[in-house]
Amino acid sequence: MTRPLRPDERPAFEEAKRGSAELFILALVEDTDLHGYEIARQIELRSEGALTFTLAALYATLYRMEARRWISGRWVEKAGQRRRRHYRITDAGRKVLATQREDWARFVTALGRVAGIRYA
Amino acid sequence: MSANRTAWATDVARFARRSRVDLSTETIDELAGHLEDLYLAGRSRGLDAQAARREAWQALETSGLLPLKQSRSFSMVYALRMALRQFRLHPAFAVVTILVLGLGTGAATVVYTIVDAVVLQPLPYSAPDRLVKFWDTNVEKGLQRDPFSPVTFLDYRLLPVFSGAAAWWRPDVNLVDPGLDPARVRTIETSGNLFAVLGVSPQLGPGFPADGPLFSTDLVVVISDRLWRTRYAGDTSIIGRLLSLNGVSYRVLGVMPPGFRFPDEIDVWQRLNWNLAQHDRQAHFMEGVARMADGISLDQARAAADTLATQLGDRFAVSNKGWAFAVVPLLEDELGYYRPALYVLFGSVGILFLIGCLNVASLLLTRALSREREIAVRTALGATPRQIVSQLFAESLTLSTFGAAAGLAIALVMLPIIVKVTPVEVPRLAEAAISGRVLSLAFGLMIAMTTIFGLVPALLLVRKQVASDLRSGERGSSRSVRRIYQGLVIAEVALACGLLVSSALLVRTVGQMTRVPLGVSSDDVTLANVQLAAVSSSEESWRTVGAHHTAILEHLREQPGVFSAGSANFMPMEHGWRGALLRGDQPTVRQQDAPQAQHHSVSEGYLETMGATLLEGRFFTSHDTTDGESVLILNKTAADRYYPGESAVGKEMRSWMFQVGPLGRNLTWRVLPDRRAVQPRTRVVGVIGDVQNVALGLPAEPAAYYPMRQFPFSAVTIAIAARDSATAIHAVREAVRSESPNTPIGAVNTWRDRFNARTAEPRLLMTMLTVFGAVAAFLAVVGVYGLFSWSVALRKRELAIRLTLGAKPLGVAAQIVRHSVVLVAVGLAAGWALVRAADTALATVLFGVSPDDAISMIVGAALLFVAALVASLPPALRAMRVDPVEGLRAE
Repeated sequence: MTRPLRPDERPAFEEAKRGSAELFILALVEDTDLHGYEIARQIELRSEGALTFTLAALYATLYRMEARRWISGRWVEKAGQRRRRHYRITDAGRKVLATQREDWARFVTALGRVAGIRYA
Repeated sequence: MSANRTAWATDVARFARRSRVDLSTETIDELAGHLEDLYLAGRSRGLDAQAARREAWQALETSGLLPLKQSRSFSMVYALRMALRQFRLHPAFAVVTILVLGLGTGAATVVYTIVDAVVLQPLPYSAPDRLVKFWDTNVEKGLQRDPFSPVTFLDYRLLPVFSGAAAWWRPDVNLVDPGLDPARVRTIETSGNLFAVLGVSPQLGPGFPADGPLFSTDLVVVISDRLWRTRYAGDTSIIGRLLSLNGVSYRVLGVMPPGFRFPDEIDVWQRLNWNLAQHDRQAHFMEGVARMADGISLDQARAAADTLATQLGDRFAVSNKGWAFAVVPLLEDELGYYRPALYVLFGSVGILFLIGCLNVASLLLTRALSREREIAVRTALGATPRQIVSQLFAESLTLSTFGAAAGLAIALVMLPIIVKVTPVEVPRLAEAAISGRVLSLAFGLMIAMTTIFGLVPALLLVRKQVASDLRSGERGSSRSVRRIYQGLVIAEVALACGLLVSSALLVRTVGQMTRVPLGVSSDDVTLANVQLAAVSSSEESWRTVGAHHTAILEHLREQPGVFSAGSANFMPMEHGWRGALLRGDQPTVRQQDAPQAQHHSVSEGYLETMGATLLEGRFFTSHDTTDGESVLILNKTAADRYYPGESAVGKEMRSWMFQVGPLGRNLTWRVLPDRRAVQPRTRVVGVIGDVQNVALGLPAEPAAYYPMRQFPFSAVTIAIAARDSATAIHAVREAVRSESPNTPIGAVNTWRDRFNARTAEPRLLMTMLTVFGAVAAFLAVVGVYGLFSWSVALRKRELAIRLTLGAKPLGVAAQIVRHSVVLVAVGLAAGWALVRAADTALATVLFGVSPDDAISMIVGAALLFVAALVASLPPALRAMRVDPVEGLRAE
């Protein structure tokens, strides 16, 4: 059995991942408020472990998106529990999400036609 | 639970501190929450507490926190803190940079301080820019700064373009006080209005009476602060006291303020005691200063002086034809060589500083590009270009602040040392001190450095970053970066080349100076200035001087260890009295039509001691006395001029110089049968090779040497050839003490010392420029090495591709070297242009070498070329070893 490829040996995947992180996050917080851990967990679960983010990368992305006003965070405190910061999509974020979905759909279709990649 | 939560937060905070990242409390809380969730998830998968904790903790440790730094709290203070941290992480880089900057700033500060004190500060007189110096000039005779006649001075003084003018001459004066050693003092005998013209009053006593006469038989003096303190212990009762100058009593009327030195280091200002008008228009021995009237410009004053010169030339053709008054601003006159020299020095230290700056800029640029990834991440994390620029700017601000501080420290330490060890008497140098102006210069330099170092790499990086964001980036080797890199190499090489060539020129200058044949070979001859006995105008007095003089020399020659001794009234490189000299068989002509020659008085043994070459005839002997025939020796130039193609020895000469000064006092005039006295004729007994009798660089003038026994002078220099200089000094002291106890001995040193002192200015300049040149070359080569290395690193990918495609490593290296050669050659050409641009300034400090001297150019350029080439070799070798795969991966 061959050894698994290192991330740097899979440039397409890494590039795609970098470019699509914002899309994932926007999609996750589209309908519901989530905090950082939940977002990371959802991405991992839904991608069946294919996509993971380091802590720093995740929060850096969150902060950047917040700075761009695509999402907004607010602290939620519950008795006896640690306060958590929940993120929710903004109107601007929705627009970005719509655009990105469109772009990616076109891209994936194009990939299928050109590179012979089909939807799983 | 709660305690656990706090523990996570504390741990995150500690980890952040350890990784040197400032996180807000909110971020720490958020991360702590995340870790806690991870921990709980681990526990629920059945891990024990420790394993779950380790797993959670790993998520944090592997993620690396640096990119997480939030931009919301960004501030300059934070940027500065980050900068300091960067330097703690890379101390070598910081130390080198600060040192380079410190040296540059330090050198610039010191030189600026000196330039400021010597050139830029106004002279300590009232409205000094209105003051001008007078000199007599004669284009035909090639004289630019000659003293003038007191009678002619009176004419110029009356010009309405001047509100006042004073004149003086320099007698040699012995100061004798009861109970104190006799001393030679530097004296001028000046018109009574000198201090009024300068606008300076004595610190003590009334001084010469205001509106008093220009001259008076009432004998009064003003003394310097230095003489007052050293000889009279600052005793205020000095005012009104009598001083004995050359045996005559003068009343002290004042003490000048400390630091007052006009026209130079003078200790006694005597008021003129003879009538300026009752003298000869041909006697050139006075100097003068004038104040331009209000509203009169320098050009107007010069025009008025020129007009008067023409009028005087017409009216007094005999004495004034061809002569004119030069009106020179006082500061320009005082500084002479130092003004252009200091500007050249200032220019070169500026260049040195610039090279230092370029070096640091390229260091920072290189480093900035190697931090590209860090910056890329930060940009990706939302750091705005402004923040990135601020960050880099903060780093360079920190660097330049430390650099400026180091420079100031260097300046504070070096300045007193330089002032102390400078071998030449630079006017006003002692007044140099770090001042507010200098501090503001250092501050200005710091701002400049910060801007150059900080902004250029920062802007470049940000631009690059934007470019790569747009995915158009040809990474690293983008054209603008390469252009900057090439520009830096060319600039460094050009500046260093300019400095090196300048210092090579100065080296050649000093070489030329020391190679000029002076007509003497007497390096180890000891010289002592003495001023013999009191002078009165009686002939008897001159006989006494002559007798004393002879006795001292004879006593001296008897001392053990003394080989020979003699004396003269002018040393080599000093010009003698200039006056008419005629062949004895020529018909009498009017004096102004007779050719000019210099007149020197030398004792027997002097020319031999100084190593002059006898070409024909004989030297003087002890038989050439007032009882014998009047004789003289001509130099070769004079012999060739008066007796071309024939021997001068045995021929006769005539001169008018016997009427002026002591020269000729002892001669009995020949009286013709018709009872008309005529000038005595003097027989030529010898011809010597030319001894330099004008400043270096000018051809020797025709000169006649008279025997000291026939034409005694009271102020002479005794030359002694002895076993060693200690013997010589002892012998001359002994001889003077026993033969003439009241005669003080002035400066004692060797001819080599005196010659060196006369060439000290260019020597000093040469030393400093050579040091600057060497430092500049070193910095430039280091810089060029850095830049070449960087260039290879930038082109790694390109090189790797070429190597993969089968290029030969040697060919790759050769191409790198070729590229370097082109850049260095362009730099050298630019450096050459730099020297050409500065050649007017350079020409004023050079001697016997022109600013486009080929040897200096070639030497300077070749040195630099080789050094730069060597600097390009290691990067070229590195290029050969680029791993193709790694190169490809760099993207």
